[in-house]
Amino acid sequence: MHPSELNHNEMIHRYLNELRRYLVRLAPHEAQEVIREIESHLFDVMDQQTAAGQSPDVAAILRGFGDARQLAALYVAHIEEGAPPPLGFRAIQRMKKSVTASLYFTMAVFGFSMAFALLFIAGAKFLLPESVGVWSTPHGNSIVVGFVSVPPMATPEVMGWWIVPVATILAIGIALLTRKVLQVLKQHM
Amino acid sequence: MQATEALMEKWEVQLRKGTLELAILAALQQRTLYGLELLKLLQSLPSTTITEGTLYPLLDRLKRDELVDAQWVQEGDSRPRKYYQLTPLGTQKLTDLTRLWRQSVTDIELLLANPGPQPLHKTGA
Repeated sequence: MHPSELNHNEMIHRYLNELRRYLVRLAPHEAQEVIREIESHLFDVMDQQTAAGQSPDVAAILRGFGDARQLAALYVAHIEEGAPPPLGFRAIQRMKKSVTASLYFTMAVFGFSMAFALLFIAGAKFLLPESVGVWSTPHGNSIVVGFVSVPPMATPEVMGWWIVPVATILAIGIALLTRKVLQVLKQHM
Repeated sequence: MQATEALMEKWEVQLRKGTLELAILAALQQRTLYGLELLKLLQSLPSTTITEGTLYPLLDRLKRDELVDAQWVQEGDSRPRKYYQLTPLGTQKLTDLTRLWRQSVTDIELLLANPGPQPLHKTGA
């Protein structure tokens, strides 16, 4: 590959990566569609310039698209539908965004920690089968779930080895649900 | 002099902005074009010159509004291209915008063709 060609590809990839970052509020398939079309346009123009005996001017083509951040803003404008709020409402908007960001990270930590803990319990059952399980008191007043150093006295363990598939399925379910919720929250950040 | 030029430029930008949707719908009338073809067509006309950064997001909006439809087509060894065409809703919108545009042109032409001080006697509808 010719060094200038490598440089052109680098410029294009850098621009498209930057654009992809700013398109994060779009659904992944929508963002991919935007990137694919712009990439197709860029290489098409380069091919045409080469075929016409010119040296491809990637910088000029990219200038036509403008700043990646501003271009992305035009693509995501429909998400912020309606008239812009009055100036005084900006503070509320900023607060809303920071609340959403806090919720996003709290949700991520909580959801993935739960999933990890359940997977840990499923794995630990193989190593310490007597210490991992679900115990119910004789009158059903309380229940102990998880990894204990000393199993509760005079209480039957109710799940046995079933805890392994159940905990694994729950962990996968919680992880997937967390991921889905995070995707929705990200669109509002 | 510079102020006049700046005002003219501003007016031209506003006019282009207001008519861009009509220009794109008209360009796609009974035609299927991909982005670069459409861009070149618009850039070949003095009053519809736009940049890539304006055209593609606008096409995206027209698609979301179901005024145009798009599909990827690969011909031979060429790179796949996204072709756009009008939907029935887009054709209807083009008809409506065309009517408004022609009415505007007629009205302004009438005003331009009848300077004062005599009062303007409008004829016809």
